[in-house]
Formats: sequence, C-alpha cells, structure tokens
Amino acid sequence: MPEQPILIIGGGPAGMEAARAIADLGYHAILVEKRNRLGGTPDEAGYAALTPDFRNAGEAMAEMAARIENNPFVNLKLNSTVTAASGSVGNFEVTIQNGQASEKINAGAVIIATGFQHFDPGRETQQYGYYEFDDVITLVDLEKMLRAHNVVRPSNGKPPERLCFIQCVGSRDRQIGNEYCSKVCCGIASKEAIEVRQQLPNCKVFIFYIDMRMYGYWENQIYWPAQEKYKVNYVKGIVTEVLKKGDRLLIRGEDTTMGRPMEIPMDIVVLSVGMEPSAGTCELAKIFGVQQNKYKFIETLGGALDTVTTSVEGVFACGAATGPADLEDSVSSAAAAAMKAIAAVRKHRPLE
Amino acid sequence: MALDLSGKKYAQVSYEEKERLFNEVKADLRYEEYLYGCYECGICVAACPSARFYDFSPRKIAQAVAREDIDLVYTLMNDSIWDCSQCFSCDRCPRKNSPGGIITIMREVAVKNGLASAQAALEGYGRVVYKIMSTGTQVSPDMLQPSAFPDWGPHVKEISNNLDVWRRALPPETLHTTETGWQVDDKTLIELYLIWHMTGVMDMIKEVDEGLFMILQDVMEERLEEAGYDVSFE
Ligand SMILES: Cc1cc2nc3c(=O)[nH]c(=O)nc-3n(C[C@H](O)[C@H](O)[C@H](O)COP(=O)(O)OP(=O)(O)OC[C@H]3O[C@@H](n4cnc5c(N)ncnc54)[C@H](O)[C@@H]3O)c2cc1C
Ligand code: SF4
Ligand code: SF4
Ligand code: SF4
Repeated sequence: MPEQPILIIGGGPAGMEAARAIADLGYHAILVEKRNRLGGTPDEAGYAALTPDFRNAGEAMAEMAARIENNPFVNLKLNSTVTAASGSVGNFEVTIQNGQASEKINAGAVIIATGFQHFDPGRETQQYGYYEFDDVITLVDLEKMLRAHNVVRPSNGKPPERLCFIQCVGSRDRQIGNEYCSKVCCGIASKEAIEVRQQLPNCKVFIFYIDMRMYGYWENQIYWPAQEKYKVNYVKGIVTEVLKKGDRLLIRGEDTTMGRPMEIPMDIVVLSVGMEPSAGTCELAKIFGVQQNKYKFIETLGGALDTVTTSVEGVFACGAATGPADLEDSVSSAAAAAMKAIAAVRKHRPLE
Repeated sequence: MALDLSGKKYAQVSYEEKERLFNEVKADLRYEEYLYGCYECGICVAACPSARFYDFSPRKIAQAVAREDIDLVYTLMNDSIWDCSQCFSCDRCPRKNSPGGIITIMREVAVKNGLASAQAALEGYGRVVYKIMSTGTQVSPDMLQPSAFPDWGPHVKEISNNLDVWRRALPPETLHTTETGWQVDDKTLIELYLIWHMTGVMDMIKEVDEGLFMILQDVMEERLEEAGYDVSFE
C-alpha cells in the first residue's frame, strides 16, 4: 500500500510551498484552505509590493499558487477547514468541513501552516486613536492604498503632506503581552515609506522607532535607500499619543537624539502593526493537541536546530504559525516541514 | 551654555533664508561623500574630543542634515559647528558619514554668508589671519591672544601678562620664529595674493571682517601694483 498523503492546513505562502515540495518529491498532499482561493494573508490583505525587491505581491502569490493548482499530486480543498482529528503518525484521521458537508480523510503526517493575523491596534493601544480618527491607519491599510495608487487622507480624500509611521505597535510591549519583535514591520514600513515618496514626492515621511530591525540584506536593500535616496525621516523615539488638532492629527513623543519633546502635525499616521497567531493557528493547535508558546504561536521543539517539529509526533508547523516570519523564513521552514513530514510518513508506513 | 534645539531660537530668521543656506551646503561637491544616512549609533560622539567638553554632538549634526530639518540645521550652523575641532575622529562612522566634513562645509557656508556666529568664532583669529595673509607665512607664538581662546583656561590670561619674563626663563628659544619665519620670496607672495584674490578668499574675509579686509586690501593692492598687476579687490 502506498504511503498516506500528507495533510497541509493553510494555503498561504508556507502551505503552498510545503505542498509544492511534497508534490515535487512524488508524494501526495492534501491542502485545506478556508478561503476560496490560495495566497494567504498577502493575498487576503491586498499587499502591494513585497520586500525586499518590490515584487508585485499579487503576481508572486499567483505564481506560487500556479505550481500546485492542477497538480496531480496536490488535492486542493478550498472553502474548507479541519474540525477534528484523531490517530497518530502514519495514520491520522481528520475531519474536513466544507460548508455543511464534512468528510473524513486519512493522512500520514500533518503540516499546520495557518499563519498569523495583524495586531488589532484598537484593542489595546487606544492612545493612537485607530478607531477614533479616520486618518490613523495601519500598514495593511496603506498597502491597499499603495496598490491602488491612491494614497489619500481617509477623512477628506486629499493627498497627505506629512505622513508618519509608528513602529512596534502591538509588539515588544509587556503591557500588551506581545513581548516579541514582529520581525518584518521595520522593513515593511521602510518599503512603504519609499513607495509613498515615489507616489507623492512632496509628502514628508517620518518613521518613529525604538530601533530599526532589518533582516540581513534588507539593510541596504530597503533601509539605506529609504534614508539616502528617498529622504525618509527616521526619528528615534516612539510616539506616545495621537491627538486631533484642527483637521489634522498631532503626534506627541520625544526626539531622543535632539533631546527634546516633539509635537508634530500629521495628515496620516500609519501604525506598524505586528503579527499575532491567527485564529486558525490557535484552533488547529487545540485540534491536534500541539503545544503553543506563551504568545499562542505553535511551539516547535527543536530550538534553533529544528524549526518545524511540534510536540505531537507526525505533526509539523511552519511559516508564521510558529512565530513572526517573513516570506523567506516562511517558505524555508515550509520546505523543511515537507521534508520532515515525508520522512515521518516513510518511517511509519502502515503495515501491508 | 546649553544648546537650544527647540527650533524657536531663530524664529525671526525666515524659513526661505535658512533653506537657502542649507541648499548651499547641499550643493557642495563633497556633500554626497560626507553624508549617507545615520544609525544613531553614537560612534562618532564617543570618538569626538569636542563632545567631551561642549554641549556638542557630531551625531546631531549628521541627523539634522540627514533629516533635512532646515530649522535645526540653521541652529546648529550658528551655535554648534564652531565647537568642532576638525580632527576627523568621527570618520570611523559605519555608514561612512563624515560629520567633521559636513561641518567643514557648513562652516564655509557660514563664513561666506557672514553669519554672526562665524564672525564671532573667527574674531580671535584676526591677527593670525592678517599675519599669514599679509606675509604668506606661519603663525608664531607671539600672535595668539588668550582673550580669544576661553578654552585655554583662566590661568592663561594671568600667565600672558608676564609672558616675556616666562619665556626668558625657558632654556630653549621660543620666539626665534617671530624674527626668522617671515622671509617669503616676493614671487611667492604675489602668487599667494593672486590665489587668494581669484579663489574668493578675500571675498570671504570681507564678509566676516570688514576691518581686516580693508587692511589686507591696502597691503595687497600696493604690492600687486608694484609687481605690475592691476588688481582691485572691490
Ligand atoms: C503588513 C504586512 C506586510 C507584509 N509584507 C511582507 C513582505 O513584503 N515581504 C515578506 O517577506 N513578508 C511580508 N509580510 C510577512 C508575510 O505576510 C508572512 O511571512 C507570510 O504571509 C506568512 O505566510 P504563512 O503561509 O505562514 O501565513 P499566512 O500568509 O497567514 O497564510 C495562512 C493561511 O492559512 C489559512 N488558514 C488560517 N486558518 C485556517 C483554518 N482554520 N483552516 C484552513 N485554512 C486556514 C489562511 O486563510 C491563510 O490562507 C508582511 C506582513 C505584514 C504584517
Ligand atoms: S520589526 Fe521593527 S517595528 Fe516590528 S516589532 Fe520589530 S522592531 Fe518593532
Ligand atoms: S571632526 Fe569635529 S565632530 Fe568630528 S570627531 Fe573631530 S571634533 Fe568631533
Ligand atoms: S557614527 Fe555615523 S551613523 Fe553613527 S551616529 Fe555618528 S554619524 Fe550617525
């Protein structure tokens, strides 16, 4: 009897890459995605261009999807989710729900790739007025505007003259409980800042930060050009509060370098929201009984040496389901999960 | 005195004027090589001798300029750049900035535009400039005026009152250069005068010290005329 297929849950970049890797190696994958299309959060949230090379996000996700759509080794189940699971490595029995219908399938191993959700800035950091002021938006809202080439103040439809980013919103914050760095927001804010300057050369752009955290080459791919070529103003000092003044916003904070308080009028304030585990990631962790860490991301047990093995044998996790990750990390960990899942299935072939 | 970076200090100077000066700084050919971006790492500050003694920071210079904060640059151009000792220890910046180099440009712009701060900063050097430019040769120990160098410390004034006596008490000769150092070949001197004229050095001096300019003008025009050049510094 041939090996059982490997079940992948989540059709974002990580899930798509895991499915492709499994198919390329000649194994069967079942990919369950709750939305009606592949592409994950970059597709759902409508990202414009991707770090670090400004590649069109829609195109990049479509390319990943094309490799597994109509692939005989990949059984795609859209509009579906997993509601129950039993069994163990070599033979999991999993219930897949599609609308009213539910079916049971068998899988030799499982890869959870259910990703993240953006931090909701209205939840805890009310001092930034996300739900109060129309012109306070998030990185994700700005992605959509950039994609449409229509960066305007939501309050009056006019292009902003001054726009700022506030970093670490919902990250690195003990008060909120998200003590971790979300890893990508410094790069993404810088990338968006460049795009704003490209689309609106007269708009002054500020980034208020604790420290800028750039991944390896992102340093001179994104950060340096933002500063040197596009004259984005990086000001060390996180904004304390956003107030309304006339028809503009007023940000208050400290300019640490110059050692002075600052109160600067802004037309748009962009909150650099970080990542939290998606609802799906939390649900799937419960269904498969895998450990979650303090922040509810799925815990992987191998430390730095194994980033995909969970507390349940035969169940692996990858991408942003295991913690903040950019595409590069997500796709790399997905390939590692695919490899380990295949190895697990081979080791636990059901008896003939 | 503490550096006032509130942006309010020079509120009476128009934004356009501040912008004009900053654009002059940015137009300098060296500017591109002296400034990239700034990390806020503070390496330059830790290396900077002036930062130890004054409320001065090469990082603030780099930051203000990189941010293109026109008000801030103007304030620094007036109240800060003269504290730099131009040692270029800050050149070890990981972004390859040269705060000291940026300051050089800012100082030149300040001098060319006769900013009051430039005049004040250069006041103590009047005699040095006069001596060097009129004779074409170096500074000698009798030329420095302690009153112009507060950073020499209070006791210097006291000592300078009886400097002749102190000097005579020293075994080595300290003042011989005041006599011997001034022999400059006529041809060299004329060439120097012409260079200072043609490169705009005299214009700069006119901006910062009208009196000094007039004295130098007298000396130079006369010598140049004798040598057969019809040069006017007006
Ligand atoms: C504002 C912002 C901009 C970003 N821009 C970039 C960028 O430019 N470059 C870059 O490298 N990274 C970027 N990132 C990071 C990037 O989005 C992530 O690295 C990547 O999306 C992680 O992929 P993933 O597949 O692990 O998770 P996701 O993309 O979140 O995909 C998870 C998938 O699982 C599905 N799912 C969830 N729950 C269930 C369930 N119960 N059942 C079935 N399916 C489920 C979801 O519908 C989704 O399709 C950005 C992040 C943010 C916050
Ligand atoms: S990546 Fe930057 S903005 Fe995001 S949490 Fe880390 S330090 Fe803060
Ligand atoms: S050149 Fe000026 S700013 Fe640079 S280290 Fe020397 S004194 Fe400091
Ligand atoms: S050393 Fe360079 S990067 Fe660091 S603070 Fe100074 S100017 Fe900025």
